[in-house]
Order: sequence, then structure tokens, then C-alpha cells
Amino acid sequence: MNGSLAPMEAAPLATGAGPRRRAWELLLALPLAVVFAAFLLYPILTILLTSLKPGSGVLHSGGGGSSSHTIFSNYLELFRDPIYCEAMLHSLVLSASVALGATLLCLGPAWLFARYEFPGKRLMRAGFALPMSLSGILVGFLAVIMLGRVGFIPQMSQGLTGKAWLSGAAYQLSGLVIAYLYFEIPRGVVTLESALSKFDPRLDAAARSLGASRWQRFLWIVLPLIAPALVATFAVTFSVSLGSFGVALVLSKRFSVLPLELFHQVVAITNFPLASAMAVFLIALALALNFALGRWMRRHFSLRHA
Amino acid sequence: MRENLRRPGFLPLYAFTLVLWLIVMSPFAVVVLGAFLQTTFLGLSTEQWARGGDGESLFSVKWFGYVWGLYRGTLLFSVKLALLSVLLCLLIGVPGGMVLARRQFPGRDLLESIVLLPLSLPGIALSIGILQAFAIVRGEWWLILAGHLLYTLPFMVRMVMDALRSFDVAALETAARSLGAGYWQRLRWVVLPNLRHAMVAASLLVFCVSWGEFNISFLLNTPLNQTFPAALYATYTTNSFQVSSAATVIFLGVVVPALMAIQWLGGGRGVKLEQGV
Repeated sequence: MNGSLAPMEAAPLATGAGPRRRAWELLLALPLAVVFAAFLLYPILTILLTSLKPGSGVLHSGGGGSSSHTIFSNYLELFRDPIYCEAMLHSLVLSASVALGATLLCLGPAWLFARYEFPGKRLMRAGFALPMSLSGILVGFLAVIMLGRVGFIPQMSQGLTGKAWLSGAAYQLSGLVIAYLYFEIPRGVVTLESALSKFDPRLDAAARSLGASRWQRFLWIVLPLIAPALVATFAVTFSVSLGSFGVALVLSKRFSVLPLELFHQVVAITNFPLASAMAVFLIALALALNFALGRWMRRHFSLRHA
Repeated sequence: MRENLRRPGFLPLYAFTLVLWLIVMSPFAVVVLGAFLQTTFLGLSTEQWARGGDGESLFSVKWFGYVWGLYRGTLLFSVKLALLSVLLCLLIGVPGGMVLARRQFPGRDLLESIVLLPLSLPGIALSIGILQAFAIVRGEWWLILAGHLLYTLPFMVRMVMDALRSFDVAALETAARSLGAGYWQRLRWVVLPNLRHAMVAASLLVFCVSWGEFNISFLLNTPLNQTFPAALYATYTTNSFQVSSAATVIFLGVVVPALMAIQWLGGGRGVKLEQGV
């Protein structure tokens, strides 16, 4: 907190001509800095420190710190215990497949919205924006009413074909994937659309005039140009899926993911040090992804403009 | 449209998008239907539908009355939190965003990235952090409000900054100053009028985010200070399909109009609402 605030008070006069700069104006940002120092940085520091303490909770012997405790023992437990390893693996595989599916599926709507004008476009886009604005538990509930044991789709198919298709799928891995896709596809559409609308259609027209077929143009002109946007969409959807908690809370019965495991550590086992280690791991992963993507995009962007 | 039809590739893209859109929208139709139905059955059998009514009419609003009676307190608490979030975001986020967009100072970039950070961090991990860092005051209603600020302020600050960067505020201010306008006059008559649009859209966004926030609310709430999304979760796990549907429709009844207003204000571009999931 001090690091970001102390220099502000002694801020030099800003560069550039323009109205005379007042140093006290910087104090207007002070409440903002205080809120984020107190409720973002301080809590992150707290879990960082807690994660280094010996594990506790009802499953551990009352004495707490065993003789074998080292400061990283919570992290070692996280990476050694088969239950947590499995949850972590589930999280990674689920997020990767959802991100891949969402990136491919949202290519259609994003391309349509970016390249064409048609009646009803605004309504369609507004509809796609809706799932993004819902919290995870709501998406979970929607999955239950559609794909639960007596969900809409099983009951409809029972009436139509005599067989209840997808009954109870909501509680299986397939249901989890569908529910995640449900809120990741709209996110992908928004991310990809803004990138695709920057694509210059004259390039495509030039290639066509040179006799390139549709697939040739897509493979050699369009794909290389939109590849960064596709990577960004994958990264964003992957990162959001990784930290998603609400959907799994409602749907997941046996299939555990890391955010759910974290929640159980707090609520059922009260092992705060281990839960903190998991939180640190999730935050570090999100930060690393964010940072790598930002760097990658910047480099790509500057290269293209060089 | 007719012009589009002649362009290759439009029709398959349109058909694909329409199918995807219908899939995305269908659960909402089922929820709204379920909230008004007396029957527990959603399928095709007319026999079941007729029986479900128990002699009463098939459609009714009684589930809404039930939900209102059960969760009135949580609804009002959530509205209170959302309104306070909007107020505090305007008081803290607008000046903060103005300084971040208009001034250069050491640590400016750091402050900006810290303010935007929560949008890319998992909510559950941050909730555990707040829970432990403020264990002494756990259960206080203002701690939940502080958690909401963490997820709403980034929207307000980002939109204020985007608005200020979209026009040459320095040139306008210089012009106003050459005409003799003082600092507060420039703020009142030059800067703020240009921000009004962004502030209205961001306030709606903030209201929606706070209204739907689950992770922090769920971990920090107590029976006395329960937010509506936390109550929704309790409904989903314990109550019937109809009651859950009615509660969901009430939730959507607040979000959807606000979302439409945001779309209308922002033209659907640049302004987007993302909820932590």
C-alpha cells in the first residue's frame, strides 16, 4: 500500500502542456488505492502467509504442527495427495476442453456478427450476452432443469421417442462441460468479435481475385490473421473455467474440481492453511496466464505494426 | 438481408448461430414456464398436465408469493447492497478513474493494473482471502459490501477511463482555461458532462454485478445478512423446481431490464457485463 501511495504525494508536475497540474488532485485516487490495498492486497498477503503454516482442521491431530512440517508442506500435500491431484487434473482437463470447444463454437457467431448486418442482430447479440452476466449457480440450475433426472430434455424425449435421453446428464461430466460451455461461448463471442471486426476484408477480396478458393483463403489469409484472437479467446475462457466455482457447486456430485476442493477444505474440514495453498495456486495460475497472454499479445501486436 | 443471402457463407453461418442462440435461450423459456406452472411435469403428456393442476388453473403466480414471503429480507438486503455499491463506486471510482486517465505519476500503471486485477482472479480464492484477513468482523454486512466493491469498482474505473480517453479532454480543458474557467468550473462544465453517459452505463453494470455476486456473498454471509444469490443456492438445494424457478425469474427480472438498458446505452459495443462464476 505504501509503495503505491507514498510516491503519489510527491508527484512531479505532469508532462505535456495543458492546464496547470495540481499535486493535490492525485489525492482523489487515494480512496481507490485504500480499498484495493485493504480488500485485495491484504487478503492475498494473508492467504500467502497462511499457506505456509502447518495444516490444521478436523482431519489433523490436535497438536497441529507435526515435526516433519516445512513451510511448503501444504503445497507438497497439494501436489502429492491423490485426491487433490485428481481435482487439479480434472480442473485442467475440463477447462482446456471447454476452452477449446468454446473457441471453435464461438467462431461462427463471432464471424457472423463481425462481418454481416442483418435484422435481429442486436437481439441475437443481447441474447448471447445474457449467460455471461449470470452467476455460476444460476447456470448450474439451468443445467439441472434442462438435463437433470426429470429435466426438460429427458421428459420431452420420453414423450417423443419413449426413451429418456440425457436423463441426469447434468450431474455427470457431460453436464458439467455443457454448463461451462453455456457461459464460455458468449464470452468467446464477445472476445473474438471485436478482434474479427478489425480484419480487413480487402485482403480476402485480393486473394479471391488471384483465384484462391474459399478454403485456401481461409487457411492462408484468414487463419493466420485471426490466430492471435483465437489464442486470446482460448486463454480467457480457460482462465475463467479454471476459477469457476458456482456451476460445480450445484452440479458436481463425484467429479471434483479444485475450486470445489478448496471450498470443502474451508467449510467441511476447516483446514485453512491447505485451502490457502490452493487459493494461492489458483491465483498464481490466473496471474501467470494473464501475464503471458498480455506479453504475447503485445509482442504480436508490435511485430505486426513494425 | 437479401443482399446478405447472395454473399457466400452467410446462410450456413446464420443457421449455425441461430441454432446456438436457440440453445442458449431455451433454458430461460423453461424457467419462466416452470415459475408459472402448477404441474411438476415439463414433458409432453397431456394427462400429466391435466392432473398437475389439482383442479386449479394450470398457471398461477402463487410461487412468487411464496418466494416473496420466504426471501423478502434477502431481496431487500441485496437491493441495498447493490445501491450502496453504485453510490460508493461513483464516489470512489469516478475520481479515481479521472486521476488514472488524466495524470501521470509514479505507480500509476501499478495502481491501474491492481484495480483491474480482480476481474481476472478466481472469486472463490479471493473470498477465502477476505474471510481470513477479516475474520474478526466476519458476518458484518459492510464486509460483504467491501467484497462487492472489489468486483464492481474495476468496471466503473475502466469505463470512466475509456470515456476520458475517447475524447481529447486536455484540449477541451485548455480551451476552457483560456476562456478563464477555474479548476472546479472546468470539472463541472467540461469533464463531468462528457462522463455522464459512461457513469450511467457503469452504474447499471455495477448494480447488476453486485446483485448477482455469489462467491463472496456465499462465504461471508450469515443468516441475518444473506444476499439473494446465496438464498437462491439454498433454494436450489432444498426447494421444489417451481419455487426455484420463481426465485430465478425474480432474479432475472432485475438483471434483464438493466442489461437491455446497458445494451441500449452502449449500443452493445464496448460495454459488457461479466459476472464472476
